[in-house]
Amino acid sequence: MKPPLELTVRRDGDTVRLCAPAVGVFTCAAEAGRLLSPGAGAGVLLSLDVARELVVPAGVSGRVVSARPERIHEPVGFGTVLYELAPIEAGDVPGATTGETASTVASLALPAPHSGRFWHRPSPNDDAFVAAGEVIGPGHPVGMIEVMKTFTHVLYDPGKNLPARARILCLIAGDGAEVREGDPLVEVEPA
Amino acid sequence: MFQRLLVANRGEVAVRIARACRALGIAPVGVASEPDLEASWVDAMDEVVCLGPAAAAESYLNVEAILQAARQTRCSALHPGWGFLAESPRFAALCRQHGVTFIGPEADVMRLMGVKSPAKAAMKRAGLPVIPGSDGPLADADAAAACANDVGYPVILKADHGGGGKGMRRCESEAEVREAFTAASAEALASFGSGSIYLEKYLAAGRHVEVQVLCDRFGNGVHLGERDCSVQRKHQKLIEESPSPALSDAERADLGAKAVRAALALGYVNAGTIEFLRSTDGELCFMEMNTRLQVEHPVSEMISGVDIAVEQIRIAANRPLSLSQERVELAGHAIECRINAEDPSADFRPSPGRVETFDFPAGAGPGTVRVDTHLAAGDEVTPHYDSLLAKVIAHADTRALAIETLSATLEGARVEGVQTTIPLHRAVLASDGFRSGEYDTAAIPGWPPR
Repeated sequence: MKPPLELTVRRDGDTVRLCAPAVGVFTCAAEAGRLLSPGAGAGVLLSLDVARELVVPAGVSGRVVSARPERIHEPVGFGTVLYELAPIEAGDVPGATTGETASTVASLALPAPHSGRFWHRPSPNDDAFVAAGEVIGPGHPVGMIEVMKTFTHVLYDPGKNLPARARILCLIAGDGAEVREGDPLVEVEPA
Repeated sequence: MFQRLLVANRGEVAVRIARACRALGIAPVGVASEPDLEASWVDAMDEVVCLGPAAAAESYLNVEAILQAARQTRCSALHPGWGFLAESPRFAALCRQHGVTFIGPEADVMRLMGVKSPAKAAMKRAGLPVIPGSDGPLADADAAAACANDVGYPVILKADHGGGGKGMRRCESEAEVREAFTAASAEALASFGSGSIYLEKYLAAGRHVEVQVLCDRFGNGVHLGERDCSVQRKHQKLIEESPSPALSDAERADLGAKAVRAALALGYVNAGTIEFLRSTDGELCFMEMNTRLQVEHPVSEMISGVDIAVEQIRIAANRPLSLSQERVELAGHAIECRINAEDPSADFRPSPGRVETFDFPAGAGPGTVRVDTHLAAGDEVTPHYDSLLAKVIAHADTRALAIETLSATLEGARVEGVQTTIPLHRAVLASDGFRSGEYDTAAIPGWPPR
C-alpha cells in the first residue's frame, strides 16, 4: 500500500476545513460527530485503482460537523472540502494545537522585488546561488524569480535598511515557492 | 462518437477544443489548477475537475490526476491541446492503458518524432530533403570535426532531445567545433537529460515554412497548404500567414504532396505539422514534425474552411477523413497575430495583471476577422502560465487586403490592464519588409521601430 496522504487544511475563523489533497474517488468517510486528531485516518482516496489512506495533518483537531457524502464512492477534485471541523479544547487532544505555527519573520530580510516563483539555483543540477554563512555585497545574485516562463536574477540590493556587506543566515522562501512582491526571501545580518 | 471528452489543457486552447466538441455534440469536461478555477474560460466546459495548485507540475503536467479526472467524469477520450502533455509519448501510452482515447498520433510515432536525429533519418527515408549534416548523434568531438569538415562551415551543433535554443552552438571552424562540442553536450545533458548531439549545416536567414497534414487510420492523408512562420523572436513565432509569399503555386503543391507522402509512410495518424526551412537559394529542408494541434492552426482553417480540431476528434473516433485532397480548396490569404501579455518597449517583459478592457472591433477592414481567446474583461492574467492573450486572424481575398483588415482590427483594439504586443504587430504589418513579403527568420521586419 502506498504511504498515506495528508488532507489539506483551510481555516476560516474558528472553522477548519479538511480538503482533498488530490483528484480521486473519496470513500470510507468519517461520520459526523467523530473527533479527529493529528495522524488519525479519515477516509480513503482511490486514484487509478490505487487506494491511499487520508490522514489528518499535524496541528489540526476538531469534531466533524459535516455530513458524509451521499455516494459511497464520491468523485472529488483537488481542494474539494471533505470535512468541516468545529473547534474543541486543545487540551482534549494531547499534542495538538489549534493555531498555525507562528512563522518566523526575519528581522533583516531581502524582499522579493516582484511576484513569481522563487528558485534557489540556476538549474536543478547546480549549487544554490548563496548558502548560509556566505558573505555577499551589492549586486550578488541570491536566486531567480520566474514569471510566465521568464527568469530574472534577484540581486542583493541593500537599499536603506540592509547592510552593504551581509552574511546569509538562511533562505526564507523555499526553492520553487510562490512569492509575492515584498515577501522576505533571504535573512541576513551585517558581516 | 464520444459522449464526453476531457480537455487536458487550459486557456485559449481549452476553449478552442470545447468549441470543436460542441460542434460534434460531445460534452467537454475541463481540468483546471486552483487559481484557474476563477477564470471565465472554465465556463466553456460542462464540468471542471480541479487538478492541484498553480505549479504546472502539480496540475496540468500531473499525469495521474488528469487520467483519474478522465475516469471519474466518464470521459472516453482526451484532447491534450498544445504544450504541457501534448507531445508526451508516455502520456499517450498511459491514456491507452487506462482505456481513454488520446486525440493524437500513436505513442511510438510521437516518440520517434520527438528526438531530432531519428526523426530526421525517418523523414529522409520517407523521401523528404533534410539539412546536410551528421547521420545521427555524434560520438565525440573528433567525429563532430570530421563531419563539419565534410559538410562545410558554418555548422550548428544541436541537442538530440532539445528545443528552445538550449545545447545549440554555431561554429565557423574546426577549432570552434572541437571547443563547443563538450559544452553543448553538457548543456544538453543538464537541460534534457541526454547529452546526445548532432550536427547540421547552418543556414542563415531562411524562412520557416510548415505544412498542415491530416491523416486517418485508413491510409488517407490530405494537406491544408502551408503556413509561413518566419516572423519570430527568440525562436517564438509572432505572426503566421498562409499561403507563404515565398512559394510559387508549383512549389506549394509539390511540398504539400511530399509532406502527406512522408506522414503516411511513417504511419502517422491525426493532425500534424511538418516544418521546413527554406534557404535563400529556395531549397526546402525538413526541420521537425510537431505531432499535435498547432497554436497557429486557425490560419489554415481560414483558407481551407476545414475545422482541424473537429477532424482530429473524428479521426480519433476511427472515422475516415471527411475530405480528399481534390476537395480541399485553399482560398484567399490569412494572417494571424499572437497577442501576448508582454511589453515590447521593455524587452518583452512579461506583464501579468487584471484585464480591465478587452475589446476587438468587428467589421474593421474589407476581410473577415476571427479572434481566438479565453479572456474577458475582468479576468486575471496570472504569472503561472504562458503569456498568450489572444490570436487575431484576418482572412481576405488577397494578402494586401488581409494586412489591411488585420491592421484596422489592431488599430481599433482596446486592451487595458496589461501591456500587450499589439504595438509590435502594428509596426510589423505597416513595415515595407513585411508588406513586400521579403522577410526571414533573422530579423523582425519593422521592429524595433526606427
